[in-house]
Amino acid sequence: MKKFSLRMFASLALALFGLSFAQSWDGADSLPTNPLACGEGAGGGAMAALDYNGGQTMNAPDMMGQAINLIDVPKLVGIGYFAATTLGQQQAAEELGNVTVTTDAPTEANIDDQIAVIESYIASGNINGILFAANDPVAIAPVLRKALEQGIHVVGYDANSEPDAREWFVNQAEFNGIAKAMVDSLAKEKGDSAHFGIVTSTFTTPNQARWIAEMQAYQAACYPNMKWLETLEAQEDAVLSFNQANTLINKYGDELDGIFGMTSVATPSSADAVTQAGLCGDVAVVGLATPNGMKPFVNDGCVQSVVLWNPVDLGYAATYVMRAIVDGTLKAGDTSVEAGRLGTLQVVNGSEILLGAPYIFTPDNINDFDF
Amino acid sequence: MALDTAKVENTMAKRLRNLLFSQEGILFIILVLVIIVLSGRNANFLSASNLLNQGRLMSEVGLVALPMTYIIITAGIDLSVGSILGLSAILLGVFWKNLGVPLELAIILALIVGTVAGYVNGLFIVRLNVPPLIMTLATLAFYRGLAQGISEAKSVTGYPEWFYIFGQKSVMGLPTQLWFFIIATIISIIILRTTTLGRYLYAIGNNPVGARFSGLPVARTLLVIYSYSGFMAALAAVIFVSRVTTTRSDMGTGLELDVIAAVVLGGTSIFGGKGGIIGTLIGLVLIQLLKNGLALSGVTSDATTIVIGLVLILAILVNNFIQRRRDS
Repeated sequence: MKKFSLRMFASLALALFGLSFAQSWDGADSLPTNPLACGEGAGGGAMAALDYNGGQTMNAPDMMGQAINLIDVPKLVGIGYFAATTLGQQQAAEELGNVTVTTDAPTEANIDDQIAVIESYIASGNINGILFAANDPVAIAPVLRKALEQGIHVVGYDANSEPDAREWFVNQAEFNGIAKAMVDSLAKEKGDSAHFGIVTSTFTTPNQARWIAEMQAYQAACYPNMKWLETLEAQEDAVLSFNQANTLINKYGDELDGIFGMTSVATPSSADAVTQAGLCGDVAVVGLATPNGMKPFVNDGCVQSVVLWNPVDLGYAATYVMRAIVDGTLKAGDTSVEAGRLGTLQVVNGSEILLGAPYIFTPDNINDFDF
Repeated sequence: MALDTAKVENTMAKRLRNLLFSQEGILFIILVLVIIVLSGRNANFLSASNLLNQGRLMSEVGLVALPMTYIIITAGIDLSVGSILGLSAILLGVFWKNLGVPLELAIILALIVGTVAGYVNGLFIVRLNVPPLIMTLATLAFYRGLAQGISEAKSVTGYPEWFYIFGQKSVMGLPTQLWFFIIATIISIIILRTTTLGRYLYAIGNNPVGARFSGLPVARTLLVIYSYSGFMAALAAVIFVSRVTTTRSDMGTGLELDVIAAVVLGGTSIFGGKGGIIGTLIGLVLIQLLKNGLALSGVTSDATTIVIGLVLILAILVNNFIQRRRDS
C-alpha cells in the first residue's frame, strides 16, 4: 500500500513536472524536432549528412547521353494529382529531348496490380528506367529489386519504397519545411502574435503529429509571441471537421486569429466554417489541401494560403534525376543534382532528393492547377 | 468391313467435333489465337522467364478459382474470398509479430482461420438457407472489416528469409506457388471427375431439391466446398504475403471478381450443374496471358481492362452461338 501511494505520488510529480516544463501541443508527437531557420529562404541545409543508403543496378548498360525509355508507375491513374506529375515528366522529357516517358498504372491504388504492371514492363525488356510512387513501401520492394538486378534504373517520387529497392527518391516536402510554410503563412496574414487553433485528424496520426511537433518548434523559435489555443481531432471527416472549426470559432471568439487545417479534409471544412460564420478576413485559414478542394474559398478571398507541393515539379524533378543517374552525373555520395528549371536540388537523408520548399497556392496561382 | 471403318471414322469425327465445339474447345482455340497474335508483338512474350513469372502471378487467383468452380457448379457463389484472403493475411502477421507465435504455426493458424471463415459461410447457407450471394456479400464486408479492425491500418513486415520460398523462390525450376497450384488442380480434377463428391456437386447444381430427396448429403457437401474455398483463400494469402513481403488489410480486394471471371469464362454455368476445372484453367491462362501480352505490346493497363472485358463478351457470344447451332 505504501509502495503504491509512493508510486502514485512519484508519477503525479513527474506529470506535473512534465506539464510545467515543456508542454507540447495536443496532437504533436514527442520525436526530436529540427526547425528550419526563421524568415525567407528555402529549406534543407542543416540536416546531418547520412551515407548513401539507396540500391544499385547490376550491369546496367551505359546509356550516357543516349535516348532512354522510361516507364512511370504512379499509385494509380485517372486522378488529377498524378495527371499533374505525368505532366511534369512530359515537360522534362521534352526539354531533355533524349527521354521518353510512358505512364501506366492501375486505375485503383492496389498493391498487387501495381506490382503486376511493373513485372510486365521488366519482362518486355525495352525500358531503361522505372519511375514509381509506391502504394506500399514494402510490398513494391521485391519487384523493384528485380528491376535493379536486371540493370533497370529505379527512381521513386511522392511515396517511397524501402531505400535499398530504388536508387533515389524525390521527396516532395520534409516535415520541417511544411511546418515552416504553415507558420510563416499565418504570420504573413495575421501578424507575428496571432492566436490560433488547429484542426487535425487524430492526435496519433503519424504525419500530422510530426507536422504539428515541427510547427511548435518553429513557432517557439521564430514567432515566440504567437499563441497556440487548442488542437481538436476531426478524423478525416468533413462534417466533424466543420463542427470542430465552429467549436474553435465559438469558444475563442475574437481571440481567434487563425485556424490551421492539417488534412485535406480539415482545411476546406474549416474554410467553410469561417465563411458561414461570416468571419472571412477576421479568421485566417491556413492548411494542407489540394487546390481543387480550396479553389472556391481562395477565389472568394476567404483563404490566402494553401500549403502543399507542386506535383508538376515533382514529376519534372524525378525525370531529371533519372537522366542524371543514367548520365553518371548523380552518384552515390553526391550532395546535389541539377534539375532544369528547378535549379540545384539538395540530397537529404542519404538517398533522397528534396524538391525544395513547399509550394503555397495563392489567389494568383491556384487556378493554374487541376488536382 | 469397309462399312465398319467408315463408322469408326464417323464416330471419331463426331467426337472430335464435340470436343472442338465444347466451351473448353472453343476457348482453347481462342487461347491459341491470342498467343499467336501476342507473341508476334513482343519477342519476350513467349520467353520461359516471362511465362514462369506469369504462372507465379496467376497462382493466387488460380488456387481460389478451383473451389469457386465447385461452388458455382452447385449454383452457389462465394464473394467473400478476397476478404478471407485479407483476414488470413492480417492474422498471419498478427499471430507471428504481435502474439509471438512461431511463423510455421502462424501459417497453420491462418489456414485454419480461412477454413473456419469459409465454414461459417457454408453453415449459414445450409442451416439458415441464406442464399450464397447474400451470405457471402455480407461476409465480404464483415471479414474485411475484421481485417481492418485487427490490423488498425498497420502493416506487418520483416518476415524471415525462409518464408519467402512460397512466393518468390523456385523449386525444381518452377515458381513454388505454381507447384501448389498444379497439385491442387490435379486433386480438384480427380475429385470432380471420379468421386461421388464430384457427382453430388453436379446433382446439387442441376436440381437441389431432387438431390435432397434422393438422400444425397447436400448440407455436408456444401459445408465441405465452402470450407475448401476458405482454406484456398487462406493458402493464397500465405503465398501473397510471401510474395510481397508485407501484410496489409486491403490485400485481396476485388479478388472475387477475377476468380469468378475466370471460372465463368471457362464455361462453368452460373446457373449450376455444368462446368469443370479444365475450363477454369483455360479461362485463367487466357485472362493472365491477355493482360501480360497486351502490356508487353505497349497497351496501357486501362485499355487492357477494356480488351479483357470485350474478350469475355466475345467468348460467351461465340459459345452461345455454337451451342445453339449444335443443339438445334
